[in-house]
Amino acid sequence: MTKTVRDNLVAYAFLAPFLAVFLTFLFYPIFYSLYLSFHRVTDLYDVFGKMRFVGLDNFVQLIHDGQLWWSLLMTLYYAALVIPLGIAVSLALALLLNNRLPFRSLFRSAYFMPYVLDMFVVGVVWVLIYSPHFGVLNRLLLLFDIDVFLEKGFLGHPLSAMPAVAVANVLKSSGFGMVLYLAAMANISPSLYEAAAMDGADGWQRFRAITFPLLKPVTLFMVIIGVIAALNAFAEIYAMTEGGPNVEVRGRALGATWVTGYYLFRTFYVSLKLGYAAAISYVLLILTLIISVVNMRLFRTERA
Amino acid sequence: MISQNTNRRPQRPLPPQLQATLLYLGLILGAIVVLFPFFWMLTTALKQPGQAYSLDLLPAEPTLDNFGRILRDYGFARYFMNSIIVATSAAFLATLFAALAAYAFAKKDFLLKNQLFLFLLASLMIPGMMYMVPQFAIISRLGLMNTRTAMVLPHLANVFGLFLMKQFMETIPGSLIDSSRIDGASELQVFRSIIVPLSLPIIATLFLLTFQFHWGNFLWQLIVTNKESLYTVPVGLAMFRDAHEELVTLKMAGAAISIIPIGVLFFFTQRLFIEGMTRGAVKG
Repeated sequence: MTKTVRDNLVAYAFLAPFLAVFLTFLFYPIFYSLYLSFHRVTDLYDVFGKMRFVGLDNFVQLIHDGQLWWSLLMTLYYAALVIPLGIAVSLALALLLNNRLPFRSLFRSAYFMPYVLDMFVVGVVWVLIYSPHFGVLNRLLLLFDIDVFLEKGFLGHPLSAMPAVAVANVLKSSGFGMVLYLAAMANISPSLYEAAAMDGADGWQRFRAITFPLLKPVTLFMVIIGVIAALNAFAEIYAMTEGGPNVEVRGRALGATWVTGYYLFRTFYVSLKLGYAAAISYVLLILTLIISVVNMRLFRTERA
Repeated sequence: MISQNTNRRPQRPLPPQLQATLLYLGLILGAIVVLFPFFWMLTTALKQPGQAYSLDLLPAEPTLDNFGRILRDYGFARYFMNSIIVATSAAFLATLFAALAAYAFAKKDFLLKNQLFLFLLASLMIPGMMYMVPQFAIISRLGLMNTRTAMVLPHLANVFGLFLMKQFMETIPGSLIDSSRIDGASELQVFRSIIVPLSLPIIATLFLLTFQFHWGNFLWQLIVTNKESLYTVPVGLAMFRDAHEELVTLKMAGAAISIIPIGVLFFFTQRLFIEGMTRGAVKG
């Protein structure tokens, strides 16, 4: 055996366990999913044995599927709530922490900690906080004579359901953005602020003219991962609203938090439409890839 | 923009003590808002069942009964063990596989090395939900439904972990490996006695991150099991919630059992967590 053949064999032996799992569970599924999306389950007791080839039927059906279009709209709405709110909270926390203070790292840990916890479980806790009649948030608002959400709770009222889910998610996950912003702030040269102070700029002006523009790459990154996270949103919806509460749109009952990730889960796990769910997965994949490409373009022009 | 405003009179800065007080007020307010759900979870879990919706910040008659009951009577002791088993074995194997592969990428030359690495990295662009249906179908066809293997196996190729490890291992001097080879060490001995000891910080980081991921890998654990004896804590909590909507204090005890281990783990290893989780983002 020549030396290079042996070297290659040794290297691939080290790679083997990783590659075996990767190829089976991360690579092959892309194509298997496409295969499934051309099929329809006909027998729930023999899902794989009796699958029927239906060609592009699932995709044609997708185009006429009001639930899907509505879910994409709700995903957009969810993203439009979570992303700006998440950026604002992350930035506010980072600005508070961007000072040399005793106990700084203690506060940093406290803000980051919720990010490592399971969204589903955190959602279950928020259900209690948001609950109707006796929920702590409703009781607090009663002190200010606000009783709009008393009857149905924040998650049961079509107007407040999505914002309530978004707030729960933002408070859980802004520690992540905060750390990114803090790292970027540490890289801003103090001389810029000194020059601005000499020009007589106050705190808000320094923030607007120096800090915020220099943090733009982080903000852009937060927008991109925010859109992708919204497309994958599931646990918070499953924990808090299960897609509801229903609203009537042109005579049809549609869920006020019916996001695409949750619709995919329901199609697959509750309705057991494997083929159709695989087709929905492809919609998610294509949307994500479009966003990633746009993202790369944006970052490239940013650096040029 | 700044120069336009020079005609405005510079504001007198606040006295430093007042500034510090305001900052601390802001920080404390932030901490209260961010941590309130966890405080409320704990305080409710310690209340008498009849007091579930009382507004007392601290329970009037605190009790650990809720924890006892949910662990004993509702199977959470077993779910907890299942979570420990699943998360530990997954973290161990995922870290091992990533370390082995990262060593090859960092220190060896082989055919198609760069192409393979890019190919692996490209998979990071694929959304997680995309994998739910096909991975379920594969696990099901392999006859692995309702096994712990099913919960762990699909997630053992951690591309982000591989990336972290490769970067770290590239800093290990090649001369150490060469001299050990001259002393007659085998490939595996080099890996065990040089690479692993020198990579311990990144190994610890990846172990923690994968443990945390699998502890909260709720959706996947939910869909591959319907056997109660295999439930993990979050799956058990989901089932408990559906069956016993009204047992609020028990539900919060169950949530606390799911959250506390990761919270404690984070408390002791926060630097590793924060750096590991944000490193990929910062370099981008």
